[in-house]
Amino acid sequence: MNGIIAFGELHGVFAWLYDLLVSTGLPQPWLDIVRYTALGAMMFGVLSLIALFLVWWERKIAGHIQQRFGPMRNGWHGWYQTIVDAVKLLQKEDILVVARDKMVFFWAPVLCFLVAFLAYVTIPFGEGLIVADLNVGILYIMAVTTFTAISLLMAGWGSNNKYALLGGMRSAAQAVSYEVPMVASILVIVVFVGSLSMVDIVNAQSGFLYNWFIFKVPFGPIAFVTYIIAATAEANRTPFDIPEAEQELVAGYNVEYSGMKFAMFFLAEFINGFTVSAIAVTLFLGGWHGPLNGSFLPSWVWFFLKTFGIVFLLMMFRWTYPRLRVDQLMGFAWKFLVPVTFANLILGAIIKYAGWYW
Amino acid sequence: MTKEQLQTAITEKLGDKMTLLDTGRHDLMYEVKRENLLEVCKTLKEDESLAFDYYLNSHGVDTKEKFEAVYNLASTIHKIRIDFKVILPYDSAEIESVQEIWPGANWFEREMWELYGINILNHDNLTRFLLADDWDKGFPMRKDWDAPGFIRMPEL
Amino acid sequence: MGGLKTEEFIVNMGPQHPSTHGVCRLMLTMDGEIVKKIEPVIGYLHRALEKICENRTYAMCIPISDRFEYVTAMSCNQVFSMAAERLAGIEIPERAEYIRIIMLELNRIASHLIFYGVTAMDIGALTPFLYGFREREAIIDLFEMTCGQRLTYNYIRPGGVSKDLPKEFVPQCRSTIAMIKEKLNDYEGLLNENPIWLARTKGVGYLDPKLAIAYGVSGPVLRASGIDYDIRRDDPYSIYDRFDWKVCTRPNGDTYDRYLIRLDEIKQSIKIIEQALDGLPEGNIKAKISPNFKPPAGENYARVENSRGELGTYIQSIGEKKPLRVKMRGGSFCQLQALPHFGTECFIADLVAIFASLDIILPEVDR
Repeated sequence: MNGIIAFGELHGVFAWLYDLLVSTGLPQPWLDIVRYTALGAMMFGVLSLIALFLVWWERKIAGHIQQRFGPMRNGWHGWYQTIVDAVKLLQKEDILVVARDKMVFFWAPVLCFLVAFLAYVTIPFGEGLIVADLNVGILYIMAVTTFTAISLLMAGWGSNNKYALLGGMRSAAQAVSYEVPMVASILVIVVFVGSLSMVDIVNAQSGFLYNWFIFKVPFGPIAFVTYIIAATAEANRTPFDIPEAEQELVAGYNVEYSGMKFAMFFLAEFINGFTVSAIAVTLFLGGWHGPLNGSFLPSWVWFFLKTFGIVFLLMMFRWTYPRLRVDQLMGFAWKFLVPVTFANLILGAIIKYAGWYW
Repeated sequence: MTKEQLQTAITEKLGDKMTLLDTGRHDLMYEVKRENLLEVCKTLKEDESLAFDYYLNSHGVDTKEKFEAVYNLASTIHKIRIDFKVILPYDSAEIESVQEIWPGANWFEREMWELYGINILNHDNLTRFLLADDWDKGFPMRKDWDAPGFIRMPEL
Repeated sequence: MGGLKTEEFIVNMGPQHPSTHGVCRLMLTMDGEIVKKIEPVIGYLHRALEKICENRTYAMCIPISDRFEYVTAMSCNQVFSMAAERLAGIEIPERAEYIRIIMLELNRIASHLIFYGVTAMDIGALTPFLYGFREREAIIDLFEMTCGQRLTYNYIRPGGVSKDLPKEFVPQCRSTIAMIKEKLNDYEGLLNENPIWLARTKGVGYLDPKLAIAYGVSGPVLRASGIDYDIRRDDPYSIYDRFDWKVCTRPNGDTYDRYLIRLDEIKQSIKIIEQALDGLPEGNIKAKISPNFKPPAGENYARVENSRGELGTYIQSIGEKKPLRVKMRGGSFCQLQALPHFGTECFIADLVAIFASLDIILPEVDR
């Protein structure tokens, strides 16, 4: 980074806080425990706020696409509508199915909610704003996000309901199918960077707009588009939301859930949507870098701007397209996305090996 | 095809089995004897000059003295309509099913059985569907049946 | 390799289900995602309308007929009035006929707009639903302006219509249909060429014309299977024969054609309304008849073409002020009856699309 250091960078604040912690004289293991607990709590808070915001934002976008206003009553343009909704969901009776599988039924939403947060360990929100820069960063994210499918399958099985079971099975099939093209399109980037670390990947995209991997990597746009498609499916959003297809399976895997347990699934879904957008930004759109060399906005602002841009795109998909059928969904993954992404990956590897790119 | 042409065609083909009634308004209304029903229906559907392929409606009527099973048919080829009815005595209310000829008759006959108690012979699925599965309070469309607690207002 | 042991299972789709349009229950025998057998279970909305009508005078039956099929309540009023008028031999004034045509066609457009929205929603596109309802609202406003009601109108009555058109009706009606005409482009742009929409609807739920005829399927569903049959033309009632319009047909009989034909019909209805507005004469709106008129003994099955197909009403009179028997027949009844015979061996998602494309509403089935 050789540009102007923008005002409002946050990593200095965190470094200062860490120094403060060190100055208390705690021994090393305790230092780490306190540090990561505090960071975890902070991430939890920030992401919960983001999820609440996204719910409101989606409703506003849906409203405006459909020529209505969306929530308007609570505050300016209904800004605290989702908070009210969340409080309402907390107060609701937790309806339990008698014939449920008790353990599985209980743990499914908890797992779904927890896993949604796990990915954020290695996502850099800005320069220096990363919980832990693992050297297997992207691999770790791919590994933990797959757990979502297991939790949905658990929800489908534990509810002892045929609709929920169908939803859970669909979710498992979908996750398995779309994981492949998703990873294949990500690997193109990894091949070019030569590192799995998220920070390395972002650093390799510093400088001007054309250094972003969507433009820099040969066939980068293809990788980006295939990633976005696979990510939409991973996040269970329309047109790929078959696990909870309202009109077919009523609500799919979460049909028997109510109150807080339902809220957990609901918020996890929005956090997942944010996760896949954040990964797309980190891998393809330069992460925290602005479009110019050096930036006039703090790095984390750039990151959030771009991520919300991708989230907006996903929301536009959702409110425009009909839903695909389950066989068309699988066919699309295996017959189209997998060949394309693998061809892209192989071509990318050859080009990288031969050094035919600028 | 006009109504007059249809009337001549009916007289020609089925003159001995269908008698024209004067109660029909706008469309022709015939009466068919119960024992001739299937034969008449087959001719109505299969004869090319009639070709009543389109089964619109059928239902029972309770006139307090007798039951009537009314059939409304149309022809998509000749664009013409015809009605006929079968008169059934109160004590032996049963009639042949016509679903072999028009499969669409299935549900209409089921309803006829359910609401009027007209027994449909050779029907493949004579089970309750409009009323509750455990309905045992008789046949609600009959004139002598009133809902429990129903009070008839005096005529004005 | 013995393979996995699989077995079919039964899913109750309904009575409370988002895409059964009311309270229909479909008992589905399923092999995984594939529907093997459908058994419709109806009767949840049975309100004994026919029995109620037997204890009412003809004029009192009109509000009952509204409830028979509330999405196009105007045509229910019309068919009941027609049956009663034919029994009593009532002549209707010219202006009333024109107003009736305008109302019936507006109601058909409103119903097709609901179909557009609901079908799209059942296939997963949520936005068209709001689009359809937005334009329907403008039509409902016209009805409200004329008869004070938005859903159950009680407007078309034996002998004519209950109220004359307010003087601002004609200009507002013209601007409304001009607006709908323009918005139709939006509708087509949103779905007609959408690849996901095409994948979900093309070739799905093929209804054979022979099967359709055999089960008495009628209306747009029948015409989408390529059968050129429309009661408005083939068994003309009211004054449809005076207008220049054509019966729309589509050859393929799949869900996509059943969707397109509704949009075609909206265009034709607009054409009829425009001509009717141009030719709207002055004069009486109601023939002079007693409210408790007693038609002479006789019987009649009247039928009109509404947005769901053939809407029929049979009335038998024995010369009293109450009908002896009223039988109402709706298009949905036959469409639902035919569904198990062509809606199987498909995915459950397809079944939802097929069900939506038949445009069944349950009050008409259960009565």
